[in-house]
Amino acid sequence: MIEGIAVLKLRDVLLVTMPADPDDSTVSALQSRTLDAMEQHDVKGLILDLSKVEILDSYFARTVAETAKMVTLMGGETLIAGMRPSVAITATELNVTLGATRTVLTLDRALDLAGNISRKKSVQKTRSAL
Amino acid sequence: MAKEGVGTAEAQTDKQGKLRAESDLDMLRILVDSIMEYAIIMLDTKGNMVSWSPAAERLKGYSAAEVVGKHFSIFSLPEDAASGKTDAELKTAVREGRFEDEGWRVRKDGSKFWANVVITALLDTDGTFKGFGMVTRDLSQRKEAEERIKGQAKEILEMATVIVQVWDGIILVPLIGMLDSERTQQLMERLLQRLTETNSPVALIDITGVPTIDTQTAQHLIETIKAVRYIGSEVVLTGVRPAIAQTLVHLGIDLSGATTRSSLTAGLRVAFEIINIHVAHESAQGAAVGK
Repeated sequence: MIEGIAVLKLRDVLLVTMPADPDDSTVSALQSRTLDAMEQHDVKGLILDLSKVEILDSYFARTVAETAKMVTLMGGETLIAGMRPSVAITATELNVTLGATRTVLTLDRALDLAGNISRKKSVQKTRSAL
Repeated sequence: MAKEGVGTAEAQTDKQGKLRAESDLDMLRILVDSIMEYAIIMLDTKGNMVSWSPAAERLKGYSAAEVVGKHFSIFSLPEDAASGKTDAELKTAVREGRFEDEGWRVRKDGSKFWANVVITALLDTDGTFKGFGMVTRDLSQRKEAEERIKGQAKEILEMATVIVQVWDGIILVPLIGMLDSERTQQLMERLLQRLTETNSPVALIDITGVPTIDTQTAQHLIETIKAVRYIGSEVVLTGVRPAIAQTLVHLGIDLSGATTRSSLTAGLRVAFEIINIHVAHESAQGAAVGK
């Protein structure tokens, strides 16, 4: 069992927090555990909290981008929260493409947005029920 | 009194310290010795020193006794002597008659100075190769002045990049002058830092003061836009004048990662929308309330 990643279900989103300097196996575990949790729980999406992450390598960057795409395929939305300036600069150098993945400054804001997403979806549901 | 150097044997110093010449050759010698700005040194065919001048002593710190007979490579940086650059200087002078260089040389105390060096191959009337004349000038002051100007230019650029918070959640960067990679890197770091510190979702980058945009400048802007997005904020690019818009399209540059506007006013409006602030005139508000 790999320590360091916390996958929590919070209301109707998953909250995944990455450690400061994750090694490759932790990074792989991020993907598999997130996708498993997506299947297990009926959630609207994923908040990936990168605020602790200090070092980004190409494998980590690729895995994050891929995981976001996979979550989209499984019907969820991904929010990346709290990326540090130094990590963001590395990400530009690595030419990481985030596609439709949204980013937010802080976990607080991510939770605000996640609240909006689920509210909108429930409104849509009500509408379709009518 | 000890000899000042080879060739000054017949020149005599009187009580006032003035040199008195006894022949034309001495006159020439006195002329060489009186030039303080240029170190004029004679080398034999192998590059060993055969004469030394007071200016050379002042410039390089060695007395005549210490250097006459020694190879001139003692003035070169150790790495230049090792790489064969110093030997190549003489070869060039032999082949082309003259060698000129500007670069670092070393004084006796090991300190470096920025020198202009001219080495000339000396031939006698028969065309026989007799040695070299080497003239060295200390350009350290000019070099320092150049470095200072470069440093100031950089400081001016830094001053030209101001990052200000204009509203709770909105950071404004009015860009003035051209963007190079060093400046972009610095701007990016400062902007990202400021955005995270102030927890601001919007970075307004105004390019009204950027004279023209080339592919490289655009690339730098795109990088900044991306990095801002990674941390969770977004860029609103303002000051896109007609000429800039035309250039961007002709160069095929895709700035779709950012909202772009021609005026800062329009950009500010977009920024307010993003942070969910509604700006209205008091009268309009009153009317709305009245309804």
